[in-house]
Amino acid sequence: MIRWITSGVAVCVIAALMTALNAPAGERPAIAKLLKALNASGYPSAMQPPEFSGFTVDGQRVSLDSLQGKVVILNFWATWCLECRPEMPMFERLHREFGAQGLSVVGINAREGATAVRVYAKELGLTFPLILDPRGTINAAYGVIGLPTTFLIGRDGRPVALAIGPRDWNGEPARALIPALLAEPVVSKGTR
Amino acid sequence: MADYSKFEALNVQILGISSNIPFSQKTFADSLKLPYPLLSDAPELKVIRSYGGLNQQWDMTTAQRWFFLIDLRGIVRGQWRGSTNDVFPSEPILKAAKELAPKH
Repeated sequence: MIRWITSGVAVCVIAALMTALNAPAGERPAIAKLLKALNASGYPSAMQPPEFSGFTVDGQRVSLDSLQGKVVILNFWATWCLECRPEMPMFERLHREFGAQGLSVVGINAREGATAVRVYAKELGLTFPLILDPRGTINAAYGVIGLPTTFLIGRDGRPVALAIGPRDWNGEPARALIPALLAEPVVSKGTR
Repeated sequence: MADYSKFEALNVQILGISSNIPFSQKTFADSLKLPYPLLSDAPELKVIRSYGGLNQQWDMTTAQRWFFLIDLRGIVRGQWRGSTNDVFPSEPILKAAKELAPKH
């Protein structure tokens, strides 16, 4: 009888551990605290970010599927957006610092041409991919109605956070959040 | 949204229903700090279709910007049609809701 109870407890502990590991990254206390400090909202576990595919100004094709297993910062922006401008060098710094560890910073432009985006990128020295969205289809799929809007996607492909408006992406909470998300296990698409 | 508290005082529950997926609705709702829920009718669009509000434009099927006022017994008491780009005034809906509100 005691053996049954012990094994029952063990099964419960394993089940609880598996549930905890399967929980969205944003629900882990340490990450939730950082999201709160960054004033970013979380997501219910059932939500998935919409798939997208687009071309950068250099003609490189980038899709969400191609970023599988990475932590993704998806920033929606435009050259005319004054509040977007101070964020760009901060994203560039994160891209350079954490890119090799599995962070992908991706900018999605809002309905502008390649020339305007190319000039802007050169002026600010941006080297992370800037995707063109001339018809605004990616912006619409993500429900973006104001700029800047930034999404954080975890290594498991699930959305972690949404930040509407500018943030200090080189501040303490953001700089602690990125390594915490990079430390999360990579989950293949089939086992999400 | 400015009149939300007036609807709330009348015990009127506001619900927004659209053809968008929950993910994009969350961005929209957070952007506008909406105090009421948005419901997704994607992908079947059953509710929008049953209210006759499908809007086929180019390659997209969306919901018409219509408003329905439903009473406590589930009977539709009012219907208003707004255009996609204009702000629809809440006064006529508020007036109809006041007339439906239980008298004390």
